[in-house]
Amino acid sequence: MSIQDNERFLNIIKNLKLSPRNTISEFSEEINNISLEHGIQAAYNYLLRAEVILNIRKPLLAIYDHAFQFIGGAQKYGLTLTSVLQNQFDITIISNKEVSHRDFFSWYNLDLSKCKIKVIKLPYFEERNTPHLDPAFISKEVENPFHLISKESGNYDIFVNNSMNEMVYPLSNISILVCHFPERRPKSYFYADQYTYVVYNSRYTAEWIKKKWKLSPHQHIYPPVDMETDNSKFLKKKNILSVARFEVEGTKRQQEMIEAFLNLNQKYPEIAKGWKFILVGGSNQKNPYLSKLKDTINKNPNKNIELKINIPNKELKSLYQESTLFWHLCGLTHDDPAEIEHFGMTIVEAMQNKMVPIVYDGGGPREIVDNGVNGFRVQSKAELIKCSIRLIRDQKLIQKLSEDAQKKAQTFSRIKFEERVNSFFNKLLKTYNPL
Amino acid sequence: MEETIVKEIQRLKKEMYKRKEEISDIKKLVNKEIDQEFYSNLSELSEKELETYIEECLSSINRNIDPKPEKKSITSHRKILGTPIVLIKRVLLKIIGFYIDLILDKQTQFNQQSVALYQALLLRLRQNKERIKQIEEKVSDCEENLDIIMDKLKDLHLSLEQLKNKIANHNPTVED
Repeated sequence: MSIQDNERFLNIIKNLKLSPRNTISEFSEEINNISLEHGIQAAYNYLLRAEVILNIRKPLLAIYDHAFQFIGGAQKYGLTLTSVLQNQFDITIISNKEVSHRDFFSWYNLDLSKCKIKVIKLPYFEERNTPHLDPAFISKEVENPFHLISKESGNYDIFVNNSMNEMVYPLSNISILVCHFPERRPKSYFYADQYTYVVYNSRYTAEWIKKKWKLSPHQHIYPPVDMETDNSKFLKKKNILSVARFEVEGTKRQQEMIEAFLNLNQKYPEIAKGWKFILVGGSNQKNPYLSKLKDTINKNPNKNIELKINIPNKELKSLYQESTLFWHLCGLTHDDPAEIEHFGMTIVEAMQNKMVPIVYDGGGPREIVDNGVNGFRVQSKAELIKCSIRLIRDQKLIQKLSEDAQKKAQTFSRIKFEERVNSFFNKLLKTYNPL
Repeated sequence: MEETIVKEIQRLKKEMYKRKEEISDIKKLVNKEIDQEFYSNLSELSEKELETYIEECLSSINRNIDPKPEKKSITSHRKILGTPIVLIKRVLLKIIGFYIDLILDKQTQFNQQSVALYQALLLRLRQNKERIKQIEEKVSDCEENLDIIMDKLKDLHLSLEQLKNKIANHNPTVED
């Protein structure tokens, strides 16, 4: 809506409130004019907004993600946002595959029972029996299967697209694209520039939104991280921990970290004595990269390296509580910006549990770890070993850095996330309903 | 809120929703074109994106390697003159087609050789990339080992200094 149209609309609504009988026909005529000039959807949006301004109902919000049926950081972000807003809005969670409130509670400890769930299956992907709905397969030669979601978006006041999927055209009055990282360049069916707001999870993501999409994103909201536990009861062990998915392409660099630990043992046996390296992560059953890691470990059986795959949350929490150092090398030797950590939630989880992080100096981790203050940022395996030795030799340094790490981790807590979400949506509602 | 307003809004909403549901084309819903052309600036692409771009170009070139048009059936809608027209068209096409095929066959040969050349160059590029990657890894390993040696040298130097000081403290008259 243009500024003049918006002012005219608000005047009609004001008059409708003051003298309804005299203005109602003017209102109906305005709706018909809008539908002729700007299309049916514009007229429908007009009516939706009128309902909210006239306090006939709560604002309707829909949140969509084409991967809600999987456990993931991006999905946790979207659903935590949903839980923050579920009292203020009438929310519908839109999924392409079957998913339930019980799933959300068991995966993320989120009670979203106040929200409706609407499953919209996409025939294009159903016919191909694909569990993953990958927009990368859709080209101009094929009709856009995500337009079913585009159409659905027009039934709400606010539509939030939480997917890494720019192929949904937003039809709602207010639309929000939550960008976790701009993976694809603008090609066929690219509509990121049609959203009212683009929300981003890190400054690194914002930088690449500008470079790849030539857009300036609007609102920065760090992901919520809530892995805090009561550390006072636990004695820290000589554990180095890594928590990252075992991606088939090896993008999380577990092989390089294992090599660094083996080097540490070989070149500094007296320093590395008694230290254990534990790698935790999720993986599918058939994973050649994971097999490669297991081979490397089996060739060095006395070197105190352990793999823990698909472990329950309780066990992961214990490992965070007991471990001292946290290694994270995702991004090492990568030149593709999509393969560098966009944020680094597990780094924050480790810092919340008083671990000292040693992370790759690139991407999102730069916003989490301040070099030498609450951890270290490194650019090679050699630097990783150097920083680890420095820490292992100096208990006081570990103490100091871990305390500062825990303090810094508060910036990314669930409470801070709720504050930022509420602030953003309150401002948004004020512009939607200024009367 | 007065009931007449609520009822009127509900009525209009129902009407608009029904009309909306009858339209599947997003462009018609919003009364404007929603798709646009985007062109990649090759210099901005990462290594991985360039690789994908090269693959897509090669696939597209492969699909269009043969410039000859598909053969269509010759027909005529005329009732009486139709048969002689079709016959003349067939004869003409056969004669002209012979000369066009001579040119297009050469073009097809050229296209095939060009694609083969692109693929060979691409293969060589990938092999060189792999060699560079191996060299980079070796250099990185050497740098790592150098770092470790420097560290150990520092430690040794420190130990030596400590030893010297110890000796000096015990026997202050002993010269260095």
